Amino acid sequence: MATRGPAVVCRDVAKSFGDIEALRGVSLEIPWGVTFGLLGPNGAGKTTLLRVWLGLTAPTSGTAKVLDHDIPPRAVLPKIGYMPQDLAVYLDLTVAENLALFGRLVGMEEDAIDRRTDEVLKIVDIAERRDSLVSTLSGGMRRRASLAAALLHDPDLLLLDEPTVGVDPELRAAFWVYFRDLTKRGKTVLITTHYMEEASNCDVAALMHRGRLLICEAPAAIKAKTGARNLDDAFLSLVREANAA
Amino acid sequence: MSTGLRRTLAVARKTLSQFRHDRRTLGFVVAMPLLMVVVFGYTFGGEVHDVRTLVVNEDDGFLGNNSAERILTNVEGDTLDLVTWTGGLESAREEVAAGRAWAVIAFPANFSARLVTRNATITLMLDGSSPPITTAVTAKLLAAIQKSFPGSLLTLDRDYVYGSEDTRFIDSFAPGVVALAVMMVTTILSVIMVVRERGGGILERLFSTSLRPVEFVLGLALALAVIALAQSTVVLGAALLLFQVKVVGNIALAFALLLLFAIGNQGLGIMMSSAAKNELQAIQFVPLVLFPSLLLTGVFFPLEAIPGGLRPLSYFVPLTYAADGLRSVMLRGWGLGDLQVALDVLVLVVYDVLTLLGASLFVRRQA
Repeated sequence: MATRGPAVVCRDVAKSFGDIEALRGVSLEIPWGVTFGLLGPNGAGKTTLLRVWLGLTAPTSGTAKVLDHDIPPRAVLPKIGYMPQDLAVYLDLTVAENLALFGRLVGMEEDAIDRRTDEVLKIVDIAERRDSLVSTLSGGMRRRASLAAALLHDPDLLLLDEPTVGVDPELRAAFWVYFRDLTKRGKTVLITTHYMEEASNCDVAALMHRGRLLICEAPAAIKAKTGARNLDDAFLSLVREANAA
Repeated sequence: MSTGLRRTLAVARKTLSQFRHDRRTLGFVVAMPLLMVVVFGYTFGGEVHDVRTLVVNEDDGFLGNNSAERILTNVEGDTLDLVTWTGGLESAREEVAAGRAWAVIAFPANFSARLVTRNATITLMLDGSSPPITTAVTAKLLAAIQKSFPGSLLTLDRDYVYGSEDTRFIDSFAPGVVALAVMMVTTILSVIMVVRERGGGILERLFSTSLRPVEFVLGLALALAVIALAQSTVVLGAALLLFQVKVVGNIALAFALLLLFAIGNQGLGIMMSSAAKNELQAIQFVPLVLFPSLLLTGVFFPLEAIPGGLRPLSYFVPLTYAADGLRSVMLRGWGLGDLQVALDVLVLVVYDVLTLLGASLFVRRQA
């Protein structure tokens, strides 16, 4: 691995949109080769944090490094796979054309694009819709096409914003197996989700609430710290504590 | 190939693929300007004809010659529909007043005799509510008078430096209409495409791949330039085939001008898209672009006809230069060596550079 520091590190990152404080001094580190769950209710600041790391929005204060590069991390963007919460694929292109576009934009060769398109479409289970227009796919299939675009170039770091929304439980389980495989190969997978039970699949889970990071530990450690039986209860008690403070 | 160029080409390629899948939009791109040319062509292109004109001829002749008859037989073409009116001048006037005729040509009783002493008068009554008809009737009558008595008084010898006696209105406005059609489509398409990409979160997703705004803008420009080229071919082809529009100049230079113009419009469209939150708002920009371009640019009315106070505005509307350049190339046969065409090209290049730079800045902010 060429990179030596953590995959992502950020210190006191704050971001305001006018009067709204979306991030209030977030500091965390994501080591290599883990699945990292970023959890929290809507509006907690998860997406804003991802956008800061990608250089899509500048923080109001604080610093961050992604793959050992200060933000905005332009030079290493082709090593990152990003799946935004919005659909972010062209409805009026076929699945394969969408993937080819994103492959070309990160500098992949045409034959590699072709080969990887077949591979990733099998992973997300829409191989038979390769040449269908995205507009003809169901909502869940569209999101899988968007995930496939993020996976195409076999990136070192995956930033997946709610990748499992609209995906049936069977396929969701298959995704987690695949994410585990990736981490075994040294890749880092960050997933935001508001399904608390998904957090137990992660090596590390972080809970955000109103722009603050409440906890960032292994799921077992979180349960031990809060004395809760499951992560749902653990997070509820952490949120209650935060609200009381 | 540099990575920047690869990314630019990737954007151009996906944009063209989008058009390939969206047949309806592709149809709109070709059909809309085609419709414009056909409608404008048939509405403005046809010369005035069959203008109902009453003739009150009271001329009783002189030495066996009836000069009024001679003039009337020399009225050529089908512009005037001459109707002999026997009810007298006053009732003929009432016909015009009632809208049943456009003009009255009246010869007095002693017309032929007075012509000999050179103080004859023909009365021409006109419904002046339509200047093109007034001009056509007057011109036809004067031509007939001159033909009937050649060399008798004063001869007007017309020497056409450009064009000819046969140059029609449509020949002069066809270049402008082609440019107008290209402008409408390139501007509207780029506004809508960028608004749509931003709305779907795609713009942000594209920029998370290290694509630069300027590469996105250039890629889009390249694709729309291809579309504009195809569109110009169809529109010019229709103008040539359906209306036999005259082209005496270099057609390749005409296309080059259209391309330069299309690229700038696309940049302008992207800049405008930053002011629109959705596609519905984007559409509202159409009249904003259309009206100044229709009225201030010399496409239909010469710049000389625009009131002095407004005329400086004309020089800020890019279509002025595209239409002027195209007209100079197509009708006058001018090339880049002619100062006016060179100036038009220069202005369009500056327009392209400014709008593409502006668009790159705006796109980054929109992502």
